[in-house]
Amino acid sequence: MNWEACTPELFFLLAAALLFLAAMLKGPRPRRLHRFVLLIAALGVLVTVAAVRREGLLFAGVYRVDLFSQVFKALFACGFFLTVCACSDLNTIRETRHAEFYFLLVTSTLGMMILVSSVHLLVLYLALELTSYPLYVLVPLRKGEGVHVEAGIKYFLVGISCSALMLFGLALLFGAVGTTSLLEMGRLGPLLIATPIGFIGLMFTLSGFFFKLALFPFHVWAPGVYQGAANQVTTYIATTTKVAAIAILVRMVALIGGPDIHLGLVLQGMALASMTLGNLAAIIQKDMKRLLAYSAVAQGGYVLVGILSGNLSGYAGAIFYAAAYLVTSFTCFLVVVKVASDGSNLQIAQLAGLHRRSPLLATALMLGVFSLGGIPPTIGFTGKFFLFTAAMKSGHFFLVLTAMANVAVSLYYYALIVKAAYVLEPDENLPPIFLSVPAKLLTTTLILLILMGGLFPQYLYEAARAAARVLL
Amino acid sequence: MNIAFATFPFLSTILLACAVGLLLILFIPEDRKGLIKWISLATSGLTLLVALYLFLAYDRVQGGLQFVEKATWVKSLGISYFNGVDGFNLPLLLLTGIIFFTGVLTMWEMEERVKEFFAFFILLVTGVYGFFMSMDLFFLFVWYDVSLFPMYPLIAVWGSTRREYGAMKLFLYLLAGSALILPAIIYLAVHSGANTFNLILLMRPGTFTPFQQEFAFLLLYLGFGILAGVWPFHSWSPEGHGAAPTSVSMIHAGVLMKLGAFGILRVAISLCPEGWQFWSQPMAILATIGIIYGVLVGLRQTDLKYVVAYSSVSHMGIVGLGLSTLTVEGLNGAVFQMFAHGIMTALLFSSLGYLYDRTHTRMIPELGGISRQAPILSTFFVVGSLAGMGVPGFANFWAEIMVFISTLKVYPVLGVLAVSALVLGALFFLRVIQKTFYGPENEKFASLSDLSLGLGLPRLILAVTMLLFGLFPGLMLDVIQTASIPLIGRLH
Repeated sequence: MNWEACTPELFFLLAAALLFLAAMLKGPRPRRLHRFVLLIAALGVLVTVAAVRREGLLFAGVYRVDLFSQVFKALFACGFFLTVCACSDLNTIRETRHAEFYFLLVTSTLGMMILVSSVHLLVLYLALELTSYPLYVLVPLRKGEGVHVEAGIKYFLVGISCSALMLFGLALLFGAVGTTSLLEMGRLGPLLIATPIGFIGLMFTLSGFFFKLALFPFHVWAPGVYQGAANQVTTYIATTTKVAAIAILVRMVALIGGPDIHLGLVLQGMALASMTLGNLAAIIQKDMKRLLAYSAVAQGGYVLVGILSGNLSGYAGAIFYAAAYLVTSFTCFLVVVKVASDGSNLQIAQLAGLHRRSPLLATALMLGVFSLGGIPPTIGFTGKFFLFTAAMKSGHFFLVLTAMANVAVSLYYYALIVKAAYVLEPDENLPPIFLSVPAKLLTTTLILLILMGGLFPQYLYEAARAAARVLL
Repeated sequence: MNIAFATFPFLSTILLACAVGLLLILFIPEDRKGLIKWISLATSGLTLLVALYLFLAYDRVQGGLQFVEKATWVKSLGISYFNGVDGFNLPLLLLTGIIFFTGVLTMWEMEERVKEFFAFFILLVTGVYGFFMSMDLFFLFVWYDVSLFPMYPLIAVWGSTRREYGAMKLFLYLLAGSALILPAIIYLAVHSGANTFNLILLMRPGTFTPFQQEFAFLLLYLGFGILAGVWPFHSWSPEGHGAAPTSVSMIHAGVLMKLGAFGILRVAISLCPEGWQFWSQPMAILATIGIIYGVLVGLRQTDLKYVVAYSSVSHMGIVGLGLSTLTVEGLNGAVFQMFAHGIMTALLFSSLGYLYDRTHTRMIPELGGISRQAPILSTFFVVGSLAGMGVPGFANFWAEIMVFISTLKVYPVLGVLAVSALVLGALFFLRVIQKTFYGPENEKFASLSDLSLGLGLPRLILAVTMLLFGLFPGLMLDVIQTASIPLIGRLH
């Protein structure tokens, strides 16, 4: 038994246990707790990065550690670390609940790590539930008026419905091939999805991940939950869970040897609908988090364009885009967290005068939204470029054209955000926003990451290709 | 393939100078306004000198791509950082240098949010330089967008009338254009079968089928055409120009619109010559409509900036007409016109900007007799207008005459129409000059001060450049020809 291969999982399990203990005890002061969790998260990043080269098939072939899974584990650890970084003023969560808050975050991250390595139907399902249940608790954990409860219930109900669909899909798949091993199922690949039962089973199975990525028609929860949950929880949902969903979609689609004509059509339809609906709905939003929720629906559509192209460049593009999205989306949410320092929801109009209140945050926000909108030289543009090039290689010309038309539409509301931050002036004179030195450092690093990823994509892209090559 | 490697990376020096200038400005405190302006001026001066050196050092006998710089960027997709200079982009690099330098000088008096303004301004110019020098499709597109998006804050924050509307309209129009360009670029790169974005490699004959060329050409022409102000996609331009601050109008009408025309030339025409032949007639018709439409609408305008903006639509139509003739003279004229119009329109916008800063109006009926208070300013405007009318002695004359001669040969009817529009164009400028700078004096502006020496300098540079290339057109045509003759040669 090669335990070394799963050091990241063991580390996060240990971290979860420690935080569980902390939650059982009286719980240290919030500031000390935050530092402690920050340390854990930083160590987590190091551990996962150190384990990137590990390989192996564990637990009688249900758990696969390969470059693909390890790269994503590193991304999850980064996502967790970044989210914890944004938690320095956790004032919308009751102080006594802070330890539990971190415990749930760690557990969810652990679930994702297991998820991305599982090549067995049941482990896949269990890992997904392990990822989701902490989030069901985290969403309504916010203090204050009733919106968070509504969001929590909505997230929970839509989530378990999708999870039920998924379970049904898994049952169908098992019924079709008589095995629970995804690897064996993959060997049947094209033959399997050519049968109706295999096709429907696969679609139902995937719906659990469509839900996580908030793709049309599984997107209805997104705006409400984004708005209702505490800013830090939304940050986590909008960054790390998206990466996990992209990972599994890539893994599953690659497993069956790329989409056949029917699956391709369904995915194309979903990509088109997600992009168009997400972008059009985002235009009229006044609340920053709701806007980002609809924008995330559209972003999911772009990723799907890459995944459904079914070639190496497409998978590599999706992996690259997952990393790009993690950085970009987090940057936007960091601005939300910092500007709404009392933890309330941020209206776009409240961004007025940001260029004066905090030039650094304004710059970060501009780069963040332009990266989401795909303007070079940002990492978001490069990511889209890779995705669209891959789709073009598979002959999806009109899909690419529509995606680009969507990009043009999306730039309208992204420009409105920039306008609020740079052009509009607030009615009353608002004080400058105070950023601590670590926060400044973090923001600057994010800005640099967005630009470097756009200007020098070579290393990250080749890494993504190496990870994608494992799948073929 | 014969590629000469430069001993020194002059082109990257230009980009590096901009990047360093930008970084320095970002790290200087907001209130050191003088220092920020001096750094911008030094940056622009340095890039102008390098551009001027390239222009003089370019080997006109040998021709082809010179001062080449190449580095692999993303290997698995065949993207490389690949810059070079040839007869087409050399005039435009020089143009960018001149407009950048004079643009910084014209904004010397600005006081509001200086740091951000110059940061965005330099970013924009970096994109423009990069676009003109790049020989790799990926980078070409990256630079294209880098030069577009700073326009939004530049107009929305520092602009004048209806600035937020004008900025948004311009931003969305131009990015809608890039939404057509990117699929076309990827389409061409993917279908070349060579896994490369290198323009020189993609230009090899037989790379694309006629259908692929026709299809991609259409997308590229529409995409770049929006920025080039091709009728009927021009409507962002008067609004945008009207709202933009002076130096942004200068760089925008002077350089940015050329990005569109140059994109058509560099990407659409060079990669899809058969598509070019296929679509040349519609191109000529749209260009002619643009020429006539610009003049007619311009005649009815009362806002001076709109007048100049519509004249730009008309003049960019001449560029389009030249490109559509499929002849060496036509191409020479078109590229020369890009340069000449850039300088001319920058001179007009900069003179207008000064007038607006001092009088706070741009309405023709409210002005009048300005030449008495500000003779130097009036002279510059009149010089610009004369050039715009195509009076011999200015660079524009040569450009226009070459385009019209070749048009009359290829499309006689359109040629006649376009030439008659040009006669109206003279009326167009004369009317403005007469009503604004001569005619009865307006009491309100009795205390108007004329251009100071510092502010006169940028206008002088522009006027002299126009005269220089008007008197010695060979300086420019020698260069352009090294690229246009081989391009036309590929058609037959």
